[in-house]
Amino acid sequence: MPVAASAIYFLNLRGDVLINRLYRDDVGGNMVDAFRLHIMQTKELGMCPVRQIGGCSFFYMRISNVYIVIVVSSNANVACAFKFVVEAVNLFKSYFGGAFDEDAIRNNFVLIYELLDEIMDFGYPQNLSPEILKLYITQEGVRSPFSSKPTDKPVPNATLQVTGAVGWRREGLVYKKNEVFLDIVESVNLLMSSKGSILRCDVTGKVLMKCFLSGMPDLKLGLNDKIGLEKESEIKSRPTKSGKTIELDDVTFHQCVNLTRFNSEKTVSFVPPDGEFELMKYRITEGVNLPFRVLPTIKELGRTRMEVNVKVKSVFGAKMFALGVVIKVPVPKQTAKTSVQVTSGRAKYNASMDCLMWKIRKFPGQTESTLSAEVELISTIVEKKSWTRPPIQMEFQVPMFTASGLRVRFLKVWEKSGYNTVEWVRYITKAGSYEIRC
Amino acid sequence: MAPQAQSQRSPSPSQPSGKGEVSDLKMQLRQLAGSRAPGTDDSKRDLFKKVISYMTIGIDVSSVFSEMVMCSATSDIVLKKMCYLYVGNYAKYNPDLALLTINFLQRDCKDEDPMIRGLALRSLGSLRVPNLVEYLVGTLGAGLKDGNSYVRMVAAVGVLKLYHISASTCLDADFPALLKHLLLNDPDAQVVANCLSALQEIWGVEASSSEEAAREKEALISKPIIYYLLNRIKEFSEWAQCTVLELVSKYAPPDSNEIFDIMNLLEDRLQHANGAVVLATIKLFLQLTLSMTDVHQQVYERIKAPLLTLVSSGSPEQSYAVLSHLHLLVMRAPMLFASDYKHLYCQYNEPFYVKKLKLEMLTAVANESNTYEIVTELCEYAANVDIPIARESIRAVGKIALEQYDVNAIVDRLLQFLEMEKDYVTAETLVLVKDLLRKYPQWSHDCIAVIGNISSNNVQEPKAKAALIWMLGEYAQDMQDAPYALEGLIDDWEDETSPEVRLHLLTAVMKCFFRRPPETQKALGSALAAGLTDMHQDVHDRALFYYRLLQHNISVANSVVNPTKQAVSVFADTQSSEIKDRIFDEFNSLSVLYQKPCYMFTDKEHQGSFAFSEELGNLSIGVDDQRVEANDEDLLLSTRKEDSLPQQTQGALVSLDQNEPAAAHAQQTNSVIDDLFGLGLSSSPSSSPSPLLKLNAKAVLDPTTFQQKWRQLPVSTSQEGSISPQGVATMTTPQALVRHMQVHYIHCIASGGQAPNFKLFFFAQKTDEPSNFLVECIVNTSTSKAHIKIKADDESASQAFSALFQSALSKFGMA
Repeated sequence: MPVAASAIYFLNLRGDVLINRLYRDDVGGNMVDAFRLHIMQTKELGMCPVRQIGGCSFFYMRISNVYIVIVVSSNANVACAFKFVVEAVNLFKSYFGGAFDEDAIRNNFVLIYELLDEIMDFGYPQNLSPEILKLYITQEGVRSPFSSKPTDKPVPNATLQVTGAVGWRREGLVYKKNEVFLDIVESVNLLMSSKGSILRCDVTGKVLMKCFLSGMPDLKLGLNDKIGLEKESEIKSRPTKSGKTIELDDVTFHQCVNLTRFNSEKTVSFVPPDGEFELMKYRITEGVNLPFRVLPTIKELGRTRMEVNVKVKSVFGAKMFALGVVIKVPVPKQTAKTSVQVTSGRAKYNASMDCLMWKIRKFPGQTESTLSAEVELISTIVEKKSWTRPPIQMEFQVPMFTASGLRVRFLKVWEKSGYNTVEWVRYITKAGSYEIRC
Repeated sequence: MAPQAQSQRSPSPSQPSGKGEVSDLKMQLRQLAGSRAPGTDDSKRDLFKKVISYMTIGIDVSSVFSEMVMCSATSDIVLKKMCYLYVGNYAKYNPDLALLTINFLQRDCKDEDPMIRGLALRSLGSLRVPNLVEYLVGTLGAGLKDGNSYVRMVAAVGVLKLYHISASTCLDADFPALLKHLLLNDPDAQVVANCLSALQEIWGVEASSSEEAAREKEALISKPIIYYLLNRIKEFSEWAQCTVLELVSKYAPPDSNEIFDIMNLLEDRLQHANGAVVLATIKLFLQLTLSMTDVHQQVYERIKAPLLTLVSSGSPEQSYAVLSHLHLLVMRAPMLFASDYKHLYCQYNEPFYVKKLKLEMLTAVANESNTYEIVTELCEYAANVDIPIARESIRAVGKIALEQYDVNAIVDRLLQFLEMEKDYVTAETLVLVKDLLRKYPQWSHDCIAVIGNISSNNVQEPKAKAALIWMLGEYAQDMQDAPYALEGLIDDWEDETSPEVRLHLLTAVMKCFFRRPPETQKALGSALAAGLTDMHQDVHDRALFYYRLLQHNISVANSVVNPTKQAVSVFADTQSSEIKDRIFDEFNSLSVLYQKPCYMFTDKEHQGSFAFSEELGNLSIGVDDQRVEANDEDLLLSTRKEDSLPQQTQGALVSLDQNEPAAAHAQQTNSVIDDLFGLGLSSSPSSSPSPLLKLNAKAVLDPTTFQQKWRQLPVSTSQEGSISPQGVATMTTPQALVRHMQVHYIHCIASGGQAPNFKLFFFAQKTDEPSNFLVECIVNTSTSKAHIKIKADDESASQAFSALFQSALSKFGMA
């Protein structure tokens, strides 16, 4: 059986139950005590998200200040259960209007009960699509189409739409202005050795969409990915245009994308859900353009002094710039005094994180910035042991830049009424885990 | 759920006590019940919301039940929903009141609005009151035939709910056949999915007792049904797709064409955004191609990319679930993943559980071409601040060294670890160097040169100390000061807490003696002397054995302690291939995460069980089944020690310590003395019989036997006992008492309840014969009284046992 969750609990950090739903009787009501006793009050917390206590298994994850715990008594499908929790939280967020935390839960008991009843029945996941649920959920002003309308109109059949050809979109949507927003968000993961060689590097990207389109539009998205371009030139029997093509290691799509068509024609065509959604995800390991190069030199001068030099180079286009650049340069725990000089931005010693925190609000492309610091250490009585250096970590956002080089070539919208649409495309590259050993 | 939540919460000043508020609510509800004024619904809504919030934060609002039911005579769906919720919550504990609701729920099941029909039907099924099933049958039957798919969808799950309340009613009404009809004919995919889930569960349970059900269960994985479901796969929701794919993975296509057809049809599922669907598809592909070796290998290649994507996206918990599966595949076919080792490098901030899996995989995929880089990476982790990870990475380096032919460089690295001068690094490295020397004695020269420089004072961990001592003994002739290092260790004999270290010390000093007699003689003498007076049985025995051996014949002794050894070629594999295959069959489930097949953690006899007879229902079962523990340990050599529950380990330790009959005897005497002083006992001392009753510390009884016996045996004693006020104070959960009684060899099999009333079932066994005592103990903490019912196999001993039980009970909280 897939999940057949017996119960779901929402706990705060102290371990109080905020709200729960028992779907099945096969676990005792005091399960949550076992969870508190064996996991929350021990060092186990955070050691492993799946634990067996007695005859039951507990899956838990923390989201902001809430622990969500799923209890099962069978050999359940864990990946499915975690995905369910993540999806459920996204759903709650869309109803709460943003944050998911203890307060939001306390303010929305009735709504959460309603949702929990609709998305899971007797432990089996049902429908989690926000569009469809809007038809069933009565709280927050969104009223049932049945109760709000008198019977003189023919009752729209909710379930027809649930399982119609397009389950994720309601019919009869009308917008004055038809707009599509497309965001390509990439995060770069890098692990570089102290000698400057790249140990590991990849990009995980998402294509996020926001659609405000009337009717039942058909969309087609073209990217500069290798397979898509090759296929296209094959069909149109003309040579591939020169220019960079991207090889995607792996792609996954939102359920709205016609996968058969993707596999045969290599085009991404779909009928989008209304509002915001994640169209596709991809991963790239070859030909990644790293936006920043970091060259650290850390010298330990005797027992109590250190010299730190970090040079950061931006290697993206000169017209672009990075925002919110933060570079964390590690220093030993027993740091006493630091004197730091930087060529741009600000840097200071952060004792709680044992690092020099260097922040640069705006970092133009093709430039270079350096930090040089002297660190004095408290001389310790214990025999000096070599300091294990954590890596330098970096955060940044580079708008209009993709580390993979991926570009949108076209986005076409067809609707039978033939309206005009406005399309907006944005690119942004963020740091995932960007680590440079030193 | 709500009433229990209440008891767990200690009353805090900030939380409303509830009494006043509830009676207020009651009044207001009553006023609104009859009112038809406009706006009534809105004020009702506010009140209902309040009731629900009180219920959620744990205030008992069951007293407004009848008012709620009165108010729910409304057409407002918002109100109805809240009312259903409320009723569903309290019906189970107030079956009489639940009867009140049947009427309006049944009426709503015939409402013209399909949504209300569905909701009412779901609520009716969720009441879980056994004597109301008769009302359920009719409405469910109508629901399954409803014109609206929402109602049918709810009804399909409703049948499953009915089955769990009363299996016979469900089967008598022939619901499974109806479900099967819907499964094959319903236009709505969610209805089909729910029918499938329900049928799988029902026939899964019934199959063991009924041949027909077994046939039906088989029929689910027959070609027509499988093809029917596969053809509709795209209509199903992502969750339902998981269910279907799981079912299909049980199907064995008769020929390879069919296998390819299915795989072609489902290949695009690997691109689904939902990781669960991707994993389910992967399982299906792996299962389908098991018999086709080359295709199977291609499947590995095909699923690599999606798996790696899943690992790197989503929360750490999600990637852990996926990584565990990747781990399984990597362990099965390490060569296929050898080129992907860079994906397995750890990030600095990843949680421990993710890093650990990655380290194990890195170890497994190491081969001639990538070893250098992998070991370099692992050495980085060894310098990590995170100590458990540092330890794991050193172990990983050692494992790779044991696997590889070219260990030269790795040995150098290992020896470099020793220069880091960190206690835990040194400790782990020593253990590894020892294993390495056992396999590659030719490296002894390099290693010994470094090991010789380590001062035993810097090594504290027993395992590492034992390893160092082993090397001192084994290579005594190569290490200049081996005898003196051993001598120093023997001088500290008294302070050495680990028997393992002392055992190794004895052996090492013996070995050393035969190699360098004049230097070691004194040390040997003092070691044997210390060993002979050692408290630990094994140490004592070994010392005595060596002593007599030396007395008997020196050369024989030499050949015993210093035989010519053969290098170990392969270290024992910890998990049998049969178990590995079973785990593989259970791909995409908990088995993979626990790394043990599911029967080890779901079967009744394996888990300390969860029985749900009327007698034991609703009680949690104490995890004290040591037999099970032992069993599992045997089967599961690879389970890490940390995996076992702290409670279990504790339990095992306790029973080991008290295994000696002397302790039991002392215990018994104690209780007799307590008896004489009449410590809070109602039974008179004279009634306790003279022959001492000894209980078995390791008594074992499985819950089914317990239930049987409890039903069969007559009550031999029924008494009131009392508990000390201190005991009562600590008794917020039954567990406190359970632990206390276990010290007295009275084991708990089930416990439950909430303050002030707890109900516990205990059992005990005589040491010398398999005679059981069964006890039901109802404790009321507000009166400090316990009502005890004892049943015994041997009635004549029940008085003695009763006295023993009461004395143990009276001492609760006195320690």
